[in-house]
This record gives sequence, C-alpha cells and structure tokens, in this order.
Amino acid sequence: MELAEILPEKAVIACSGIKSKRELLEVLAARAAELTGQDGDAIFEALNQREQLGSTGLGNGIAVPHGKFAGLGDVVAVFARLDHAVDFDALDDEPVDIAVMLLAPMGAGADHLKALAKVARVLRTESLVEDLRRTSDPAELHAILSRPLASTQAA
Amino acid sequence: MLDLIFPAFLIAAGLVLVSVMTSALAFRFGAPLLLVFLGIGLLAGEGGLGISYDDAESAYFIGSLALAIILFDSGFDTKLRSFRQAAAPAITLATLGVAMTAGLVGVVAHYVFGLPWLESFLLGAIVGSTDAAAVFFLLRVGGITIRDNVRSTLEVESGSNDPMAIFLTVMLLELILSQEAPGALWQDLLYGFVVQMGLGILMGIAGGYIIVAAAKRITLEGALYPIGVVSAAICLFGLVGMLGGSGFLAVFVAGLVAGNMRITGHVGLRRFLEGLTWIAQIAMFLTLGLFATPSEFLDIALPAIAVAIGLTFICRPLAIWLCLLPFGYQRNETAFISWVGLRGAVSILLGIIPLAGGLENGQQLFNAAYIIVLTSLLLQGWTIRPMARWLGLIVPARIGPVERVGLDLPGRADHELIVYRVVKDSPVLQGERLPRWARPSLVVREGRSMRYQFAGRLQEGDLVYMFIAPQYVRLLDRLFASPKKLTQDDADFFGKFSLDPAKPVSALVDAYGLRAVPEQHLDHSIADFMKQRLGGTAEVGDRVNCGSVDLVVRDIGTQGEIKEVGLAVDQMESQPHIPLFLSGGEIWNWIKKRTGSG
Repeated sequence: MELAEILPEKAVIACSGIKSKRELLEVLAARAAELTGQDGDAIFEALNQREQLGSTGLGNGIAVPHGKFAGLGDVVAVFARLDHAVDFDALDDEPVDIAVMLLAPMGAGADHLKALAKVARVLRTESLVEDLRRTSDPAELHAILSRPLASTQAA
Repeated sequence: MLDLIFPAFLIAAGLVLVSVMTSALAFRFGAPLLLVFLGIGLLAGEGGLGISYDDAESAYFIGSLALAIILFDSGFDTKLRSFRQAAAPAITLATLGVAMTAGLVGVVAHYVFGLPWLESFLLGAIVGSTDAAAVFFLLRVGGITIRDNVRSTLEVESGSNDPMAIFLTVMLLELILSQEAPGALWQDLLYGFVVQMGLGILMGIAGGYIIVAAAKRITLEGALYPIGVVSAAICLFGLVGMLGGSGFLAVFVAGLVAGNMRITGHVGLRRFLEGLTWIAQIAMFLTLGLFATPSEFLDIALPAIAVAIGLTFICRPLAIWLCLLPFGYQRNETAFISWVGLRGAVSILLGIIPLAGGLENGQQLFNAAYIIVLTSLLLQGWTIRPMARWLGLIVPARIGPVERVGLDLPGRADHELIVYRVVKDSPVLQGERLPRWARPSLVVREGRSMRYQFAGRLQEGDLVYMFIAPQYVRLLDRLFASPKKLTQDDADFFGKFSLDPAKPVSALVDAYGLRAVPEQHLDHSIADFMKQRLGGTAEVGDRVNCGSVDLVVRDIGTQGEIKEVGLAVDQMESQPHIPLFLSGGEIWNWIKKRTGSG
C-alpha cells in the first residue's frame, strides 16, 4: 500500500493560526468530515478518545492521531502542515508541526495497523520530513507525500 | 642467580607495563583485553623475543592463584538482585550447560583429532567454560545496555561456571591416568560432583559469613582490611581444596556473600579488589602467553579451528538451547547467550592440567585448547556488539548523558553522596524543582561553595552535592540529563506510540479492535495486565503480545511498577527472524497444532 492511495490531494492541508492540540484535532476532524460526509464532532470524539490513552506524538515534531470510526468504507487519512508548532504531549516534548490523521472503519483490524505502521515509517525518512517542512503549498506537500518510498528511503 | 634478579625484574615489570599501556588500545577498539595480553605474552615468548618458559607446574600455580582472586572479585561484584533474577537458568547453564558443551565438543574432537573418547571429552571439558573476564569486559565497558535478564544470565553463568569445568577436567584426567574400568566412570563423576560442589558451596557460604563477621568485630588500620579479607579468601581457597572440595566455587560464593552483606570497609575493598583483579589477570595472561610455544601450533591449527567452529556454531548453541528451554527465553535472547560463549584464560589454564599431570597427549591438548580460545576470542569477541544490535537486545538510552559522581559514605549503606554537574538544557535548568528527598546540601559555582538554600537558581556548570538513597539516582539522572533526541532505535525497541499505563485495557482493545485479549483482563489497567502477563515482575524492554500489537515496558519506577508503556504496531519488522532456538512456548504450540489436526 502506498500513502498516495489513501491520501488524495484534497486531504492535504496547510494551516496557520492553530494554537492547541485540541484545535489541530478539530481541523483534522473537520477535513475528514468533508471528505467522508460523516459528522465532524463524532470524528473529533474518536480521535480525542485515542489521545486519552496516550499521546500519538511520535517525537521530532510529528504526530499521527488515529482512531476507529463506524460507517467508513475504507481507511481515511488527512495530512496537516502547521506554520506554528503546537504542544502535543509528545514523547520528547517537542511541539508538533506535522500531523497525519488516520481513521479506520470499525472492522478493519489489521488494515488499520498496517496503514499506521506505513505512515510512521514514511515519516521517519528524514529527507522527506525536511522537504515537508520547507513548503506550505498543499499541492507541493501532496507531491512530496506521493513520492514512491524507495526513492526517498536512504536505507 | 643473584645477577639475574635485576634483568628478571626489568623484563617482568616491563611486560606488565606494556600490557597496561596497550589496554588503552583494547578499550578503543573493543577487542577483548585477554587477546591483547595473550598476544604480548606470545610475542615475548619462544616464538618472539625468545624468553623461554615451560614449567607447567609454576604456570598452573600462578594461574590458579590469579583465578581464585578473579573469582572472589567477580562474586563480590555480582549483585544479589541479578543473581536472584537469573539464578535458575544461569546455574543450569553453569553446570548442565558446561557438561553438555564438554560432551558435544568431545564428540567433535573425537572425530576431528582421532583422539580416544576420554581424551576427547577431556578437551571438551577444558574448553567447556565461558570466560567471566571477557564477558564482563565486553558487556560493561562496551558502553551498551543489554536487556537486564540476558545480561544477568550471562554474568552469573560466566562467573560461576569455571568450577564445573575445572571439576570435569580434573576428574576426567584422573580417570584417564588411573586406567579404571569405564563402568565406574559415572559413579565416580557423580560422587566427585556432589563432594566438590557441595563442599565448595557450603564452605563458601560459611567462609563468606565468617569473613564479614570478623571484619566487623576486629578494628584495624584501614588499609589492612582489604589485605585481611583477600588473604582470608585465599586461605579458604586452599582449605576447601585440601578437603577435596572446589576451592574456586568456594571463593566465588564467599565473594558473593561478602559483596552483598556490605562488609566493613566495602569501598576500600572494592578499589583494592579492582586493582588486584587487574594484576591477577595480567599476570595470568602473560604467564599463559609465555608458556605457549606458537611454533607448535601450526601442526594442529586446522583441526583445532574446526573444533572451535563446531563449538561456536553447534555445541554451545545446542547446549544453551536445551538448558534454557524451560525458562521461557525468546529466540533472540537464546541466540545472543549462545554467541557470548567466549572461551578464555580458564580454558588455557585447564589446558595445563594434563601437562602437569603427565598425560602423553598433554601438549597436543594444551595447544588445541589455546587455538580454540584464540579463535573464539577473535570470532566472538569482535562481534558481540553488532550481534546484540542485530538481535534487537540493546536497550536504547532513555536520557541524554549525565555528569555524575557517586561516593559511598563510610559505614552507611543506605545513602550515597552524589555530585551532579548542571548541564545545558537539562530539566533542572528549565525550572524543574529538586525533590525534597534529594537533600541538596552544597552548590559549587565558579570555585565558590555555597549552601543550596542561598545559591538561588541553579546555573549551567554548577556542581550540586546531594545525599540520597542509591535507588533514587535514576530519578535524579532524569533531572540533570542533557536532552535526548528520540532516535529510530528507540521507536524500534519501545514501539512508536506511548500509552498511559493507568488506563483500562478495554480502552486499548476498543481503539485497535484487538481480539486476542481475554475478557477477564478488560477491567484491569494496562500496567496490571502487563505485569500479570509478565509473571509478576516487569523490566524495561519486556514485551507483551496482544494479537496484532505489542505492548512494551518503557520505564519502571523504584518499586518495580510499570510507569511508561510503548505500543508497537508493526512488531514483525523490529526483530530479525531466527529459524533456530524455538522457545518452549513455540514448541508447545507446534505440538498442540499437530495433535489437534492429526
């Protein structure tokens, strides 16, 4: 599975003026609601519930908030690039400026985890993250994220 | 004779000096020191500088004395906590494991060398033990943190397995020399085992307690304590040996008792033993290096290397696997314990016994043992770190570097004086408060000392003096550490996400649709669930599988409670898949599957 398959151009956003973790989750949930036609508040609730279990901040300014949601056909992703990093209670206490939200349908046990592992692996490619931090244009961000992993992964 | 005194001093001390100087090289390149010292001995010997030394009896005498001191020290240094943690598997390895390795190597040697069976087993026994000095050096000085249970197992095994190898060697040699009927062999072995080990353990415990009690009662000049303790230990070694027990086991056990009972003058003794052990090791390795005649090695080099390879890749792994089967070790842990089977000085020392005993093939056995040890040191000694990394057993550092010095307080076991240097960007500089129990007493700033209360805010470069109980040092380390960047290793080892261990298991199950968790655990907290699955005690790095995700212990508190939990979502990729060393659980599952379907 490539990231591009679950991340259409409409799902990539560059946002400014976000001041808190809560606001970031709300923005992600709202975009996910637009993409799927589901209720944004309910999506936010699902993400928030997962955060209660422990922050999804991976460290190095990256977070992967995720959750399960009834009524989806497939895994849904939203990418957000923030102009100002916000505190996310991440493992290394670094504020977060790159977030990838993943929502999975209720029954999708393994798919959900595979997508999660994939996203986390893509985001540990340092050169890719550097490129993502260099631009705030959604189309460009999408292009960077759609690059095949083999050409970006050094190891 | 008198003329020779000065050249002898010059040469002997010169060799020790060269050994000491070259140790810096070994530290830098991570080579086993033993290899360096042996090399110096070899270079100075008949093959090199031409110092001729071939008196088997004095070489054995020096070696035994040195080994007794080394074993007392390694017992003294073994924490009872790690001993308890790993006692059962490690002692199985140190007894049964050594016997099995010796037997298997004997089979290989019988076919490779064409020696008679008993002599083949004798060679197996000679190279049967893992060298404590080499293992300790590579695990401690290497600057890596290996998972606790693996490390304890290796330390206790290597520290306590020499007596078994010595016992087997001596017994087999006696059997060969006495030409007794093989029927009595098992009886003799068993009887000898019970007497040697039984006496060794009992007298070791008694001796340890007597030494501690005596040190407490008798008031001496400070510097005399260590000398008294060490000579008492050597007396014990001699006495137990005279009575027919294992003196080596006795000094190891006595050291274990003395080191963990907080003997009077513990700090001084610690220092003294450290120095004494170094000199014992250097003396032993140099003697053994000088004693060998490398020119004779060529004749048997190939078959000996073949035996060494058989030992490394077949005999030890097989013995370790069978011994550890009941103890639930993971595949990669078993693989690592097999790999860290470094042979060492003890094997060479034991190689002298047949020579000193006048066995016809003695020289051949000694040379073979020597080559096996060298091969093992070269092959395994250099590769321990990459192997540990490949097997995923290195625990990534949790915090950045800390500048800390600790001093034991005389007469007090429950507190230490700890000095930290305040480093840039550490949490204390960011305004984290020192806990009250830290008892900060003194701050030294730019060479001026002041009381903590009047020092105001801490500044970079300050030295802070505190009196605390040793178990809290870890907590303070966190406050004084420079920031640590999260690395890839960290995510691989501990999982990418962190979880709150106080949350109920049901929340986790809901979030990930896990089905592998039995219903009765759903109300428990994640920490309790993990602890139960881990059999009551958790240590950093422990993993609990929950179907498609793994829970990993990230941190534990001072009471052993789980404080941080990691969540690994792609557990398959973080560890290499080793086709060997099935664990007990895996074999059980396989049997169940076969019988269930068939």
